[in-house]
Amino acid sequence: MINVILIVDDSPISRKMLKSCIPKDGGYVFYEAGDGQAGLEMYMKKQPDVTFMDLTMPVMDGVKALEEIIKYDKHAMVIVVTADVQAQSIARVMEIGAFLVVKKPPTKENIQEALAKAQEKLG
Amino acid sequence: MQKHKKNSGKRMDQIAQITDEERDILQEIMNIAFGKAAADLAEVVNIFVVLSVPDIRIVDAADLPDYIRTEFSGFGNISIVEQNFWGEFRGNALLIFPSDSGKELISLLGDGHPVSFESQASDFLENETLMEVGNILIGACVGKVAELLKDMVTYSPPRVIIEDHPSVSMPDTLFDPENSAIILKTVFCFNERNVNGFLFLITSHNSVAWLKKALADFMEQYE
Repeated sequence: MINVILIVDDSPISRKMLKSCIPKDGGYVFYEAGDGQAGLEMYMKKQPDVTFMDLTMPVMDGVKALEEIIKYDKHAMVIVVTADVQAQSIARVMEIGAFLVVKKPPTKENIQEALAKAQEKLG
Repeated sequence: MQKHKKNSGKRMDQIAQITDEERDILQEIMNIAFGKAAADLAEVVNIFVVLSVPDIRIVDAADLPDYIRTEFSGFGNISIVEQNFWGEFRGNALLIFPSDSGKELISLLGDGHPVSFESQASDFLENETLMEVGNILIGACVGKVAELLKDMVTYSPPRVIIEDHPSVSMPDTLFDPENSAIILKTVFCFNERNVNGFLFLITSHNSVAWLKKALADFMEQYE
């Protein structure tokens, strides 16, 4: 069951766009972070069920944050939402342990589909 | 002089109409567009492009040459691939590399092996390579911005400008000093080749009114 969602992206607009794609009647509790380091700390503090993670960020990028989160919690459910759609970037984050990669800009369809897959996996 | 001052005042009013939120939206759109451009390039050549967070600035076009000189003050020579684009979104795209980058990039479009040519052939190939890389990156980036903002653009053919000393001879003719400009800058790195480049999209104040509406329309789907 997904209750707590963490959104990690340096762009407030991007966080807003992503959040607006998630059904408002889902009863989710949201937390947000503006860089990978803050995202990692927030992950440890709030233990989200699903984390949406951007890749290109200052302070700590999303790849490093993903690595650290997976190191901390090998069952972490991290969905990468990125503009970096190079095959090599996607392969790399999937290898590290991302659950899915969603291309920016987010849409209601691709975000809700990703959430449904995450829900199915979590059981 | 008086006329210029008056126009500058008008420009500043128009510039001020771009809000922080609109600037953030534009930055995100540029981020998405350059991601697409990098992926397109990676499909054509075997290269991984490291992306950075784009920077959006709004400046007086008369200050652009100084701005670019400052940006490249640490470089020796630079190569500029310039391409103009026209639609509701219109302006100049400048892809700027340290000038030796062309030689580094030549093998990317070939079989990946180092190449050696007579000087004249090498210069020609270097220019062709820069134009090809520029065409892919600029076309994909500007095209994606236009697509996201529901516009359609056409392009001039790319051309390469080699600048021996950017600190003294940046081509002022590229910029109309009567305009203000929105600069969308992305710094990128071709990892395997240790080549850094800069992409600037410079659009005039004439695009501001359209841009504001297009950004609002884009965000409607996220209300």
